Amino acid sequence: MARMKFLCDAERCIECNACVTACKNEHEVPWGINRRRLVTLNDGKPGERSISMACMHCNDPPCAAVCPVDCFLQTADGVVLHSKDLCIGCGYCFYACPFGAPQYPRTTDFGSRGKMDKCTFCAGGPEPDGSVEEYQKYGANRLAEGKLPLCAEMCSTRALMAGDGAVLADIYQERSLRRGYGSGAPGWSTAYGRNDRGSPFGPGGPGTGGA
Amino acid sequence: MRPLHALLLLIVLLAAPTFAQAQLYQVPGQNSPTTKEQVPLYVPQDDKVIGRVSIPDEKLAVLVQPEGREWREWRSHTLRLAIGGLAIGMTAVLAIFFLYRGTIRIHGGRSRRLVLRFNWADRFAHWTTAVSFLIMALTGVILTFGRPLLIPLIGHQAFTPLAEYAKSLHNFVSVPFVVGLLMILALWLRDNVPEKADWIWIRTAGGLFSKAGGHHPEAGRFNAGQKMVFWSIVLGGIGMAATGYLMMVPFAFTGIGGMQIMHVIHGLLAAGLIAAVIGHIYIGTIGMEGAFDAMGCGVVDENWAMEHHRRWYEEQLRKGYVEGRQPAE
Amino acid sequence: MLVKRSSAKAAGAKRSGLIAALADSLESGVSRRGFLRRSGLAAGGIAAVGALPGAMIRKAEAGPILPNVEVVTRKNVCTHCSVGCTVIAEVQNGVWVGQEPGWESPINQGTHCAKGASVRELTKGTRRVKYPLKLVDGVWQRIGWDQAIEEIGNQLMDIRKASGPDAVFWLGSAKFSNEGAYLYRKLAAFWGTNNVDHQARICHSTTVAGVANTWGYGAMTNSYNDIQNSKALVIVGGNPAEAHPVSMQHMLRGKEHNRAPFIVIDPRFTRTAAHATEYVRIRPGTDIPVAWGLLWHIFENGWEDKEYIRQRVYGMDEIRAEVKKWTPEEVERVTGAPGSQLRRVAEALAKNKPSTVIWCMGVTQHTVGTANVRALSILQLALGNIGVAGGGANIYRGHCNVQGATDFGLDVSTLPAYYGLAEGAWKHFARAWDVDYDYLKGRFATKDLMEAKGIPTTRWFDAVLAKPGEIDQPSPLRAMMCFGHGGNTVTRMPEMVKGLEKLSLLVIADPHPTTFAAIKERRNGTYILPACTQFETDGSRTCSNRSMQWGEKVVEPIFESKDDYAIIYLLARKLGFADEMFKHITVEKDRPVPEDILREMNRSCLSIGATGQSPERLKMHMKHQADFDKITMRASSGPCAGDYYGLPWPSWGHPEIRHPGSAVLYDTSKHVMDGGGVFRARFGVERNGVSLLADGSYSKGSEIEDGYPEFTMAVLKKLGWDKDLTPDEMRVIQAIGGTDVDNVSWQTDLSMGIIRVALKHGCVPHGNAKARAVAWNLPDPVPVHREPIYSPRPELVKAYPAIEDRRDFRLVQLARSLQFKVADSDLRQRFPMVLTSGRLVEYEGGGEETRSNPWLAELQQSMFAEINTKDAERLGIRDGAWVWVYGPEDGGKAKVKALVTDRVGGGTVFMPFHFSGFWQGDSLRGNYPPDTDPIVLGEPVNGVTTYGYDPVTFMQETKVTLCRVEPA
Repeated sequence: MARMKFLCDAERCIECNACVTACKNEHEVPWGINRRRLVTLNDGKPGERSISMACMHCNDPPCAAVCPVDCFLQTADGVVLHSKDLCIGCGYCFYACPFGAPQYPRTTDFGSRGKMDKCTFCAGGPEPDGSVEEYQKYGANRLAEGKLPLCAEMCSTRALMAGDGAVLADIYQERSLRRGYGSGAPGWSTAYGRNDRGSPFGPGGPGTGGA
Repeated sequence: MRPLHALLLLIVLLAAPTFAQAQLYQVPGQNSPTTKEQVPLYVPQDDKVIGRVSIPDEKLAVLVQPEGREWREWRSHTLRLAIGGLAIGMTAVLAIFFLYRGTIRIHGGRSRRLVLRFNWADRFAHWTTAVSFLIMALTGVILTFGRPLLIPLIGHQAFTPLAEYAKSLHNFVSVPFVVGLLMILALWLRDNVPEKADWIWIRTAGGLFSKAGGHHPEAGRFNAGQKMVFWSIVLGGIGMAATGYLMMVPFAFTGIGGMQIMHVIHGLLAAGLIAAVIGHIYIGTIGMEGAFDAMGCGVVDENWAMEHHRRWYEEQLRKGYVEGRQPAE
Repeated sequence: MLVKRSSAKAAGAKRSGLIAALADSLESGVSRRGFLRRSGLAAGGIAAVGALPGAMIRKAEAGPILPNVEVVTRKNVCTHCSVGCTVIAEVQNGVWVGQEPGWESPINQGTHCAKGASVRELTKGTRRVKYPLKLVDGVWQRIGWDQAIEEIGNQLMDIRKASGPDAVFWLGSAKFSNEGAYLYRKLAAFWGTNNVDHQARICHSTTVAGVANTWGYGAMTNSYNDIQNSKALVIVGGNPAEAHPVSMQHMLRGKEHNRAPFIVIDPRFTRTAAHATEYVRIRPGTDIPVAWGLLWHIFENGWEDKEYIRQRVYGMDEIRAEVKKWTPEEVERVTGAPGSQLRRVAEALAKNKPSTVIWCMGVTQHTVGTANVRALSILQLALGNIGVAGGGANIYRGHCNVQGATDFGLDVSTLPAYYGLAEGAWKHFARAWDVDYDYLKGRFATKDLMEAKGIPTTRWFDAVLAKPGEIDQPSPLRAMMCFGHGGNTVTRMPEMVKGLEKLSLLVIADPHPTTFAAIKERRNGTYILPACTQFETDGSRTCSNRSMQWGEKVVEPIFESKDDYAIIYLLARKLGFADEMFKHITVEKDRPVPEDILREMNRSCLSIGATGQSPERLKMHMKHQADFDKITMRASSGPCAGDYYGLPWPSWGHPEIRHPGSAVLYDTSKHVMDGGGVFRARFGVERNGVSLLADGSYSKGSEIEDGYPEFTMAVLKKLGWDKDLTPDEMRVIQAIGGTDVDNVSWQTDLSMGIIRVALKHGCVPHGNAKARAVAWNLPDPVPVHREPIYSPRPELVKAYPAIEDRRDFRLVQLARSLQFKVADSDLRQRFPMVLTSGRLVEYEGGGEETRSNPWLAELQQSMFAEINTKDAERLGIRDGAWVWVYGPEDGGKAKVKALVTDRVGGGTVFMPFHFSGFWQGDSLRGNYPPDTDPIVLGEPVNGVTTYGYDPVTFMQETKVTLCRVEPA
């Protein structure tokens, strides 16, 4: 079974932001919610690299572990989704997330920060696939249509890839071999653990997360 | 469990946010991999990776913050252990103490003469603070322990609204809590300044363990024990309010590391204060005869006052606040 | 934790996209089948889809918005840069609801940049101009189309009567389709002026002039895809990672697959430089010394391609003499680039062939723009890299159709297809348009003005403010018709504002109001016509690599907007020449049919081979994109077999002869009918006794195995090939030639018989000449370094002075006098930093359109100036703080945010050019028509930029001026 992952090849990423606007476009994401973003390291210096970052759909998602209302779920292909019906907008998932993925509609929260929003790997939410409610809450469900996340599909240089983790690793390794260099896939260790090769049933797979 | 490990680590990381220099070979050369297995895929990112984003939102510039893992450990385990452990521990200690000591009686029996101990302002301040504290403690406990304890009982659908109300209450009730806290501070600060006599009180543990009774160290309006409660509530309360409000305006004054520390401090203070308040409630109710009257109706029995707060009693006497007795002189 | 519907998820994934998304896996040896197998999605997985209950299977398009409503897929082309990415639009109930990757496009292969991935927003159009507007005493009033056309037409006629046709400036757009551009040029011709221009003036006019004068045609020689064949890449003055992100796909593949050196030469460490194997930082405005510095090492070490030079290059010895002066020491003194580094670069280019040179506006937008272009062209000629797959001069054009708009004559110096303005050119088009030459002549004020270059867009305001004697036409400009052009794109905006104020009529036809509408000095006499985008109409556009792509209308024009064809038609009708102008173009419901316009272009634009690209062929290419190879861009099967994608011009002769287009220009390794070519014989056959024709070099299969002149009837007769002409062709030629049939050339023979016969004999119609290293008709026949007008190195000015002051394009051009004045003043002390400008990936051109798109605007929310960390420290400027940037002319200043970074070197300030809507610290938001103000406003960099023009094209200098930065 496929284990869905993201891989951003920093040697290819040119910070063109296609992934960001593709995401906005596909899901009609409002201003201020950054499901995906680009971060540039060592800006302006030799060795400058940009990395496209969103929810990495971790094996053992810290967001799910700390959620006080237990609103997260992980699909069989390892996609981490959450229920906006259950979310109370407490913001804990942002504290725990290594990648800054969770986003909130409001910045102050005397009452609440609103329902958390994040990358769904273009897989919608707990609602029935392709339903209007699902779209309104989480955006499009491309995975159910047999398509992959639009950010990766539209990436200008094929830096950002999405799909089965084993295949991504293979492509990345072949690519690095061919060009003679590669600096590792940013975020992989943090998201998927060092020894994981993509099995959702590996260490920290679904079912073992949470507390 | 790594009690406090998280906090220490966070403090260290906040103090020295490190810039991760990724290993970046751009040119094929001697280091070029020759087999697929040599291509690094899993690169340990133990340091915080901060870059630049074009969106004016600093927190988005943090690419990776592994401290999230530490915070997760704290939130999932340490916090629950701290609050639950201290609360249960304190209750257990008090239970043992109660079995050993029972209710501390007024040695001389009730004189039926009443001394004014807390006027309406004192009592208003106390109960405002007390009730809001209890609400916040309860709602905080719901948010902290609801997932393992309540969701299995009432289900996700019911727990979410409960948690949502709990969260709102927790936030809004903080206002009266802070008002009460400030009043307490204004009203009682003078009587809570530590003095030499407190040392004696502490050394003899306030006479709590002397079953014979009557051997209370001399004390003013508040004895050292009460002063400790006062200062923990005031300082702890201010600390909780400050961290709490900062968490209500997330990222307004600090980044992700700061937010995590805020939460850790808030949680540790909560654990400590809940335990302290349990002790406070015990001694103010079943632990000691006549103590509840002070906050209940504002007046205490003359004998209780003489036994526990002789210096203060004499002062009240002088001022004419003791029912049926003329001021001395 | 819950696990969601595992079975549906896993089995529902047929994931056709997955395979394509990871196209690289296919390149690197993972077969499609292998991929499926390994991803656990092999046949079993697909079979499982079939086994699922019907309800689980949804059409892939069954998009988000409305289940059970039909989804129509339409194919168009991105309207931003010149890469030409295919856009797949999903339309429901006439509304564009979703965008999908255009996997089949050989150019973008499904990918986009930030702009391309967000084009759907254009047709939501919350900030678009929704109906015609008129400015009355500073207040925008809604009017109807009839009233707008009536009033504009009447005012134009009044101005024509009082001041002549040249008092109107027709500013067209690189955002037009080819058909729109051609029609607009035709409109200006029928109006009777050559004052018709567009954005190419300010982006690549110097490229067009430079390379056309070197080897014949003003265009990118190879293609983006072809860079995958390059063994070394050098990018000079370009930042494709931001300006042409999808091209980086091909460049990085070339870099990785060939392990090619990837060299960036730029004053700024750009996002492209971040991926370079070697980055050379140079002082802005020193490209010629860098090119000569590279050539110095090449000549010194004998790395040049001597045989190629002997056969195909004229005048290289004169170049050698100039290059000798540029020793590594002198190059380092002038440019700042160390000699050892340039040697490494030169060696990389010479030893990893084919190597390609890529340039963009960092090379072109200079007072020496044309010379810069020529220097780089000569570098490639010396290395023998032109006309070779993997080599070439890969010139990245700017807008989506700037190449096409240039090709089809939106230019003050030529009719469509670079025919020029001489009598012969007018007569050719009079025949092609089936109007009397004397009728056309009668439309102009005089025959001289008919054949004189017009006023370029870089200086229209000088022509407005000019006193009658200062301008070589009867009247200063009084009206401007501005179609699809931002108001913040030309330098010297303080002067521009004065010019704007003085215009009696300003008409803006644009989807967005543009900066012109927001300048508060104007209170009357301004009209805004809502033009729709190219997604709301159909037509062809030419990408940088000369491929033409047909865009299909995605949705009807939104609100009350109309497409360019309709607006041009309505104006022509009101101005009284629609019948003549649209004699052979069908007009349906007041809208000319674009297919008909293209057919007319096919009939008339012989000189660039824009004849084979019939609407039918272009549409077929769009339909069968999948058949084209992703590197060679050639179809090997299907109905387009043999064609190059988009029939990159030249596609010689009638569409029926099925010329495949030319993917690589001047490529002698191929037969001309396979897209092969030679350098164009455009400048005669000999000069000072030296032959200009190629020496022993010819395209494969040519019956003439040597150089030859361009084909005319005389040449055909000499070769005895005139017998190959059919009687019909002869009849046409005789009708054209009259008494002088011998002079009918391949360019004017509307029967295309001469072209057909030349091709039949394996010859290229335009002749086979040498490329010119020396272009004697240009101000600098051999490119020489000239310091910018506002040089930061006054001590170099005397040694490398600007060109003498001169007159051209109906105006005065100051150069040396101003440069010396600046150098002798204390300006350098008062303005100690160098200001340069450039592009951001999120925005395009003047930026109004993209700054109105929330998905893009969110990513760049304020105008900024990049300042080096050390400079910032010295000036006490924090990152993100407000600063004032002062320019040395006209009190120019801008209040912007500081971006403290090492991207720029010490002493250099960089500002992006996409912003406007603030003016010297004040917001102009209130001046925009209601609900059309872009989301993000900022100071235009051109409020600070200064005087300086290229002598050949009047290209503006945007890349070097002086400035001062102070904390605000």
